[in-house]
Order: sequence, then C-alpha cells, then structure tokens
Amino acid sequence: MKKFIYLFLILSFSCEKDDVCSENTQTTPRIVLEFYNLEAPDDTLDVPELLAVGLDNENMMVPITNELIMTRSMIALPLKTDDTQATFILFKNYNVEEGVVTGNPDTITITYQTNDVYVSRACGYKTNFDVQTFSIIEDADQWMSSSDIILRQITNENEIHVKILH
Amino acid sequence: MSFGLLAQEQDIPVVDSLVVTEKYGLRLGVDLSKLTRSFIESDYKGIEINGDYRITHRIYIAAEVGNEERTTVTDYLNSTAKGSYLKAGIDYNMHNNWGDLENLVYFGLRFGISNFNQTLNSYTIYDTNNQTWGQTEVLDSKKFSGLNAGWLEFMFGFKAEVLTNLFMGLNVQLKGRLFEAEPDNFENLYIPGFGRTFDSGRFGMGFGYNISYLIPLYKKTKK
Repeated sequence: MKKFIYLFLILSFSCEKDDVCSENTQTTPRIVLEFYNLEAPDDTLDVPELLAVGLDNENMMVPITNELIMTRSMIALPLKTDDTQATFILFKNYNVEEGVVTGNPDTITITYQTNDVYVSRACGYKTNFDVQTFSIIEDADQWMSSSDIILRQITNENEIHVKILH
Repeated sequence: MSFGLLAQEQDIPVVDSLVVTEKYGLRLGVDLSKLTRSFIESDYKGIEINGDYRITHRIYIAAEVGNEERTTVTDYLNSTAKGSYLKAGIDYNMHNNWGDLENLVYFGLRFGISNFNQTLNSYTIYDTNNQTWGQTEVLDSKKFSGLNAGWLEFMFGFKAEVLTNLFMGLNVQLKGRLFEAEPDNFENLYIPGFGRTFDSGRFGMGFGYNISYLIPLYKKTKK
C-alpha cells in the first residue's frame, strides 16, 4: 500500500512538470555564421563592431532581440518559421553619432525549407531548417567577399552552418 | 448415559437461522464520474458501462467498456483524442461480511486495450527567438488514425449495497502501459480508458465512481 501512495505522489508531481515548457528545452535553432580571413581561409577573423538587423518584406529594418554591436567572428540569426526566406543586413564598423549611422552594410538572403519537429506536450513543435541558398547581395563597397554553406541541416546552434570570407 | 448424550450431540441438525446464503449474479453499472464530467467539462465526453459476474465467495469476473473524447490544451498545442476501450479481469473481495451483507472491499486486476485517433487541432512553434519575426501558429488540423494501446491495471475500491441489489462504488486505478502505436512526429497525449500519459514513463492513473444493479441469478450457502 505504501508503494502505491508513493507512486501516486510521483505521478501527481510529474503532472505539473509535464505541462510547463521548461526554458532549458532545445528551441527552434538559429542559423550560425562564422567569419574567416580571406587571406588565410582556415583562420577565423573578427568583424569589428558587427551588428545585424532583419529586413522585412517591405524592406523595413527589424531589430533583432538581444543583438548588440560587438567585435566578433560568429553570429546567430533567427529565421522565419512561417516563411522560406529571410534577409538580414550585417553592418561592419557600426556606429551612431548624433543620429547618423555610419558603417558598411552588406545584405544577405537565405532561402530554406522548414520542418516542424515534435518536442513535447508542453512545448509543442520546434522548426528545423534545410538551407537551400545563401547569397550576399552585390554592392559597390562589399566587405563580405564569399560564403560557403558548411551544413545545410539546421537542427541546433552548436554547429557552424555558413562560413563567410572577408 | 454419557454415550447417549454424545450420540445426541452429533445428531443436532444445523439450525436454519444460522444458515447464511450469498447472492450470485450479474451486476451491471455505469461510471457516474465520466457522465458528470461530460456535462461539466467542455473538453471531455465519456461513458463507461461496467459489469461483474460472481464465480466464488471472493472472486468476480469483471469488465468495463467505454468511449472517451478528451481535448488536451497546453501553451503550445491543442489536441483531441477520441476512441473506445475494453478492460477485462477479476475482482477479489477482501471484505468479510457480517451476516447476509453483500459489500465489497476489493482489489482488481485488468488488461485494457484501446483503439483511438488523435487530432492535432493547432500548435504554436516553440521558438524563444521569435521576437524578431513574430510567433507562428499552425492552424491546419491533422488527424492521426488507427492508434492503439494496451495496459495492465491494478484497482482498489469498494462497493456498498445502498438499497437491495443497488450498489454504489468508488475505485482508484494504477496502470502500466504494455504497448502503444504512436503517431509519426507526435505522441499519444491521452489514451481513452488509460487516461493522460506522462513524459516520465508508462504509468497512468484513474478513478471510477460507479452505480450498479445486481441481477441475482442463484444463491449459495456461505462457507
């Protein structure tokens, strides 16, 4: 009888836990880009004062949550879970002085397929992506010279998906 | 003299008033908790008919048959399970009745089987980075048919005779899933007859609140 009561207690506790999506649960992954040195393509190279913003279908800039101006060689960008294409502007040497934005903006467009994968009762589904194309839009003052898709399947953020030379 | 007395004692017939008989028959009932919940809760519809047939002083063959429809709603999804189930096994009455009372305090063992389908009505993509592009909600419903599950169930409860041949009973059930057919890229959140499932494993639980009527077929002397 004691064992029965114990088991009932366990079950009623797990009842609460099962219905709430834990923040530690692997979420929809972002695409991870890493920047490499054009002169030495095996070495990563920091991008000074890098900042990314999204570009919506009306060509309006959309700020990315938690995105900060930072010198770094890696960046993770959120893709749209209800579309198959996303565009971003990556600024090198981003700076704002008296309301005037300076820096070198380059535009990238990623096309992909989405695949909704079941997670759990509490969290529902997350989206994995299959990268189709990655393109850098040509402009007169382009700081990114070329890109290479390393991994087409985006299932987590622990791997590099695209390598960019600059 | 003493010899004669002994002989007389041995001849004493069993006095009629001390003979206690027990009713044997078929008891049929319904689960009132499922009916009540069907009226009160908008996300639940269910009915269960149960019965037992006495075979010995303590042992009854017992079965339940039912149909349930249950909608599960969490922050990220909405799903409806619908189907029928059958449970069969035995009840063992541990209670020693006084005189001609016919109450039961019993434990039971069942094998249960369920055939059902699940409809994923809608879901929201779990994406903690969705502040940039917005949250995606998928509203196309998707039906997963031909699902089934089987389980073993321990039951503990009582049945009290409140009027002649009319019983009220309460029981709790502890279940362990033996097998199940799971939908592709989804899981069984609720199994009719088994109840809700848990992430932690194959255990489940339930309870019943029954009203039943005994159709007496014959009587047997209580041993």
